[in-house]
Amino acid sequence: MNRRVVITGMGTVNPLAHEVEGTWAAMLAGRSGIAPNELFDASTFASTFCAQVRGYDFAAQVPDADKHAHAGRHCRFALGAGVQAWRHARLDACDALRPERLGIYLGSGEGSLDFENFTSLLVDAWSDNGVDAVQWAKLAYERMDLWREIEQESNMVCAHLAAEFGARGPAFNVLTACAASTQAMGEATWLIRRGECDAVLTGGAHSMIHPLGTSGFIRLTALSTRNDEVATASRPFDLTRDGFVLGEGASVLVFEDYEFAKARGATILAEVIGYGASADAFRITDQDPEGDGAATAMTAALADAGLGPEDIDYVSAHGTATKQNDEVETRAVKRAFGEQAYRVPVSSVKSMLGHLIAAAGATELITCILAMRDGVIPPTTNYRTSDPACDLDYVPNEPRRAELKTVMSNSFGFGGQNNTLILRRAE
Amino acid sequence: MHDRRAVITGVGVVTPVGVGVQAFADALESGRSAVRDISLFDASGFPCRIGGELESFSARKFVPKSYRKSVKVMARDIEIAVAAADLAFRDAGLTTRGIDPDNVDVDCKRLGCNIGAGLICTDLSELGAAVNTAVVDGTFDLRQWGEHGLDNLTPLWLLKYLPNMLACHVTIIHGCEGSSNNITCGDASAHLGVGESAGWIARGAVDAVVAGGAESKLNPMGVLRQSLLHRLRTDANDAPADACRPFDADAGGTVIGEGGGLLILEAAERAQQRGAAPYAELAGFGAACDPQGIAATRPNVGSLDLAVSKAMADADVGPDDVDAIFCQGSGVPGEDRLEAQAWAAALGDAAERVPACALTGAIGTLFAGAGGAALAAAAVAMKRNMVPGTVNFSRPAEGVTLNLSRQGRSAELNCIVTAAYSIGGQSAACVLKRPEA
Repeated sequence: MNRRVVITGMGTVNPLAHEVEGTWAAMLAGRSGIAPNELFDASTFASTFCAQVRGYDFAAQVPDADKHAHAGRHCRFALGAGVQAWRHARLDACDALRPERLGIYLGSGEGSLDFENFTSLLVDAWSDNGVDAVQWAKLAYERMDLWREIEQESNMVCAHLAAEFGARGPAFNVLTACAASTQAMGEATWLIRRGECDAVLTGGAHSMIHPLGTSGFIRLTALSTRNDEVATASRPFDLTRDGFVLGEGASVLVFEDYEFAKARGATILAEVIGYGASADAFRITDQDPEGDGAATAMTAALADAGLGPEDIDYVSAHGTATKQNDEVETRAVKRAFGEQAYRVPVSSVKSMLGHLIAAAGATELITCILAMRDGVIPPTTNYRTSDPACDLDYVPNEPRRAELKTVMSNSFGFGGQNNTLILRRAE
Repeated sequence: MHDRRAVITGVGVVTPVGVGVQAFADALESGRSAVRDISLFDASGFPCRIGGELESFSARKFVPKSYRKSVKVMARDIEIAVAAADLAFRDAGLTTRGIDPDNVDVDCKRLGCNIGAGLICTDLSELGAAVNTAVVDGTFDLRQWGEHGLDNLTPLWLLKYLPNMLACHVTIIHGCEGSSNNITCGDASAHLGVGESAGWIARGAVDAVVAGGAESKLNPMGVLRQSLLHRLRTDANDAPADACRPFDADAGGTVIGEGGGLLILEAAERAQQRGAAPYAELAGFGAACDPQGIAATRPNVGSLDLAVSKAMADADVGPDDVDAIFCQGSGVPGEDRLEAQAWAAALGDAAERVPACALTGAIGTLFAGAGGAALAAAAVAMKRNMVPGTVNFSRPAEGVTLNLSRQGRSAELNCIVTAAYSIGGQSAACVLKRPEA
């Protein structure tokens, strides 16, 4: 018999706030975390704005910040979110959790490139035949910083969390693009179900708001270019949507063995009851237009939970606000839910948060927990014009009161990796 | 993983000593090193100018004709994974749509993919060509870049370098519609991924998985990063074949290799039904980490002893049951010493007795590809009853008490343990057992 998995702590650093309750209050007020890009001069870029974390005080959030002096931007977010989650779960006052029973399973992105030095090297070592590798090597030694380079490997966030909390259990990082943290939380669930861990720190962290990240997405024509209406640029499921808004941040949750949590008297926030994963196996550039892969993930999660579509009270959509995703996701919900698709409320908080890429799923799962706790569905803001291809109930613009016992959260990655989680409200 | 057992029915390897299981296994038995001068770029500006480079490698012949155009948007890491997957499915005798779309004999919905990957470096000349269109007065200008410079990047530029694209291309080519993951924990990635995949089979999420890892850090950025970490051997450029010396008293650093390995893991009963002859059963898995791994400049093996102990407990084997161990053996003296100690801690006295080996002397360090190659080598060893020799090992470094040998050794191999650790302090171990007849 598999063990039951509950959530006992959560923390987040995101464009709306640098902690959980502030994030939730902002969402219920329909506030936008999107504003002109202040991380670099994007004034000539096709997309000049983003959902940036502003004014984050790392030292205030992480008491022994010195230990993490080399941590990069997204890693600092992760540490802040991790400390919040750890305290929220009261693990700081728990002696029963042995280090080798504490796992880490993250979907963290790569650290941001040292863009200034990187480009200067490409200019200064440029020759008629491309980069002169000898000259490049010579200059790179002078200019590149060891730690800046090492911290770019995405597993280093695991290393920092392990150091902060003394973990010695299994540690994974996955980078299935925009699905990464949902995938991480799904597999973290199984680490506990199988009995490999008593608790797992899980979630994700990412910042691609740097010139190359932004450039890459611009070339893919994935970003919104509503430079004149930035606060309302992210328009999931709306006919006028024109792409996602690049965000950044981190969210970390404590997943725990139910019996372990109960024995130590932890407050249970929610139970993880279903996980499903699939691959589109279609194209690297496009989702399967029929939504078969996405539907498979949802159906698999339902089967894992032993539930039917009629049991789901709310779907937190991937809802990126790209033309394709929202249409495909709508189709996929219909495939998975059948007639129930028109009944179930579906919303995308990316309308306010932007798209946190690898960190998106974990941040959205936190909103699912709060939605169940308070009986309120967060809205899809900026929804004005309905799209015939997106004809579900997207909870437009205003939060909605609803009794939520069981909720689903979707994340789909570029390249076709799909992941779905189902939570049940704490009793 | 005791619900549904997972067996290894196929092996696909792309390594400097050989591509394909036969060439790889033969090369391991011959005990030769493929480490040579780096030819992929002019490495003469680096203190280490040698590496385990693949010989005239391209993924083109490993993809269906209809997909050949896509090779252009594959970073080298992706090409390696795509080739290894093709080889693995063929070796397993499974017909995916990538092998023959008219005779597919796998259930796509029940086929998973789990391919470890690293940080993929952009091609410097490709990006440099675009960057140099945005230069004002000899320096890069961000406004020019935003205005028009970035338009010189190919539209799919980003997708060439996302680490999930190893898995994504493989799922697309072969029609793997089940769970798809990619673990990015350095050298531990493939062990973590293979262990996780066995879990997918155990819990019934899929019937088969193509799992392992692939990477190439043989590019200026990769060499620079490892150089800054002082992990590379810098005084053996004129004797490349002897340079990487795992656990050896004359070791002086590792060399970078490129490649990887993918296994086909399959539910045992399914393999049996179709009459497959498995290499081994994936009988145990364990993972761990070390809170000190954050200090990446200091040797750390990620609590490898704990990972090995957990894997052995999971497989229900004790030290006396183990017939061989496949180590990481980076050739970095401090790392090798810690690794040897970890094995000794996990196996006790048996660590001095059980034949041990490492592949790095022959192929260098493959990072996310390393575990794939090690697991492949272990699977092959079980079939051939032959522990490969550890190339360049002649006498043990101080503190190393493992039973290593330069020569290959015949032995009845019923139980093999293999483990790996990452820079950053994650580790994982897998136990392979002889499959029940």
